[in-house]
Amino acid sequence: MAMAAFRREGRRFAPLLHPNSITAPRSSLIPQELDPEGVRFISTQVVRNRMKSVKNIQKITKAMKMVAASKLRGVQTKAENSRGLWQPFTALLGDTPSIDVKKNVLVTISSDKGLCGGINSTSVKMSKAIHKLNSGPDKETKYVIVGEKAKAQLVRDSKKDIELNITDLQKIPLNYTQAIFLTLELVLVDKSSQAGLISVLADDILKNVEYDALRVVFNKFHSVVSFMPTMSTVLSPEVVEKEAEAGGRLEGLDSYEIEGGETKSEVLQNLTEFQFSSVLFNAVLENACSEMGARMSAMDSSSRNAGEMLDRLTLTYNRTRQASITTELIEIISGASALEG
Amino acid sequence: MASNAAAVPFWRAAGMTYITYSNICANLVRNCLKEPYRSEAINREKVHFSVAKWVDGKPQKPRDEELWHGNHA
Repeated sequence: MAMAAFRREGRRFAPLLHPNSITAPRSSLIPQELDPEGVRFISTQVVRNRMKSVKNIQKITKAMKMVAASKLRGVQTKAENSRGLWQPFTALLGDTPSIDVKKNVLVTISSDKGLCGGINSTSVKMSKAIHKLNSGPDKETKYVIVGEKAKAQLVRDSKKDIELNITDLQKIPLNYTQAIFLTLELVLVDKSSQAGLISVLADDILKNVEYDALRVVFNKFHSVVSFMPTMSTVLSPEVVEKEAEAGGRLEGLDSYEIEGGETKSEVLQNLTEFQFSSVLFNAVLENACSEMGARMSAMDSSSRNAGEMLDRLTLTYNRTRQASITTELIEIISGASALEG
Repeated sequence: MASNAAAVPFWRAAGMTYITYSNICANLVRNCLKEPYRSEAINREKVHFSVAKWVDGKPQKPRDEELWHGNHA
């Protein structure tokens, strides 16, 4: 109340003293310059407007949270089911994240839209670290970026290493055919035949990304609030064969019998192609799932923040209103008593 | 690519990859379904994304990929 009185006094004398000296250190909630000169009471209009806008923002974030929650449910079952696709491969071929090969392709998976916490920066950070680990004088590491957000971040300092950029993946629900086409974009083996198959894929644009090892970086979904930046490695058939001969983790491959007239290298080639498409499928789904989870929690906390802000604003608003009413009353009463006395 | 080696599968000799081949097979199976399952299955497997190749740190013109899966079989 004393504050309000002071404020009023200040306004009255403000033009006499100095136009802005008194208003400067005060909170920006009630910008004094918005009130016309000579107004006796503090206008609550600004706070009211602010309250309205905060309320609207809260509504929006709440709605976004609901949307994310319902989308999450659908994509979560899909992601969990798709884990069964790559798990046998890891059991068979093992995961060899530390393998040292010449041509690396880093597939960074991110989302197209923002407002989903830090999932995109985590996968970008992880990709950058892996890029650093795998770069050397005679080595080549290229980025293939899925999603708009990682592109925006990687363009800044490593745009020379970007090979391919794929966006708009989530306009329709993710499915395995999409993963197949993505894989085809990445590991296209023969340009001409592809052009014959799908006339849309113009053959001159499609130059295959040659690789020894593909590293897919994505956010693996654990729960709504936790996801792990993960890398899965897919080796090219030649490398798999070399590794199998050298022993180590891939040794178990020889104990399998191969049916039919196919040789081991053919089987391996088919296998790695399928492995890559299923790993990619799973990665895209897991990342979409993490995105929705992250968006849910981000929107939850922002609606909570908006609520807190609204509380604070309401308090300020009520206090100011009450103060002005009190002053008015005091003025009336003292005026009346002056007349009586 | 071992396309001219002996005893390669016919589809690889034609320059397909395993996943292209299996995709075509899957699509055939989908087309063999009865209605309404057929259109349901085909609708489920729509493809949409856009690809941009980067040359010397600059994105080339993006190309939209939009296929209804029954189209190219």
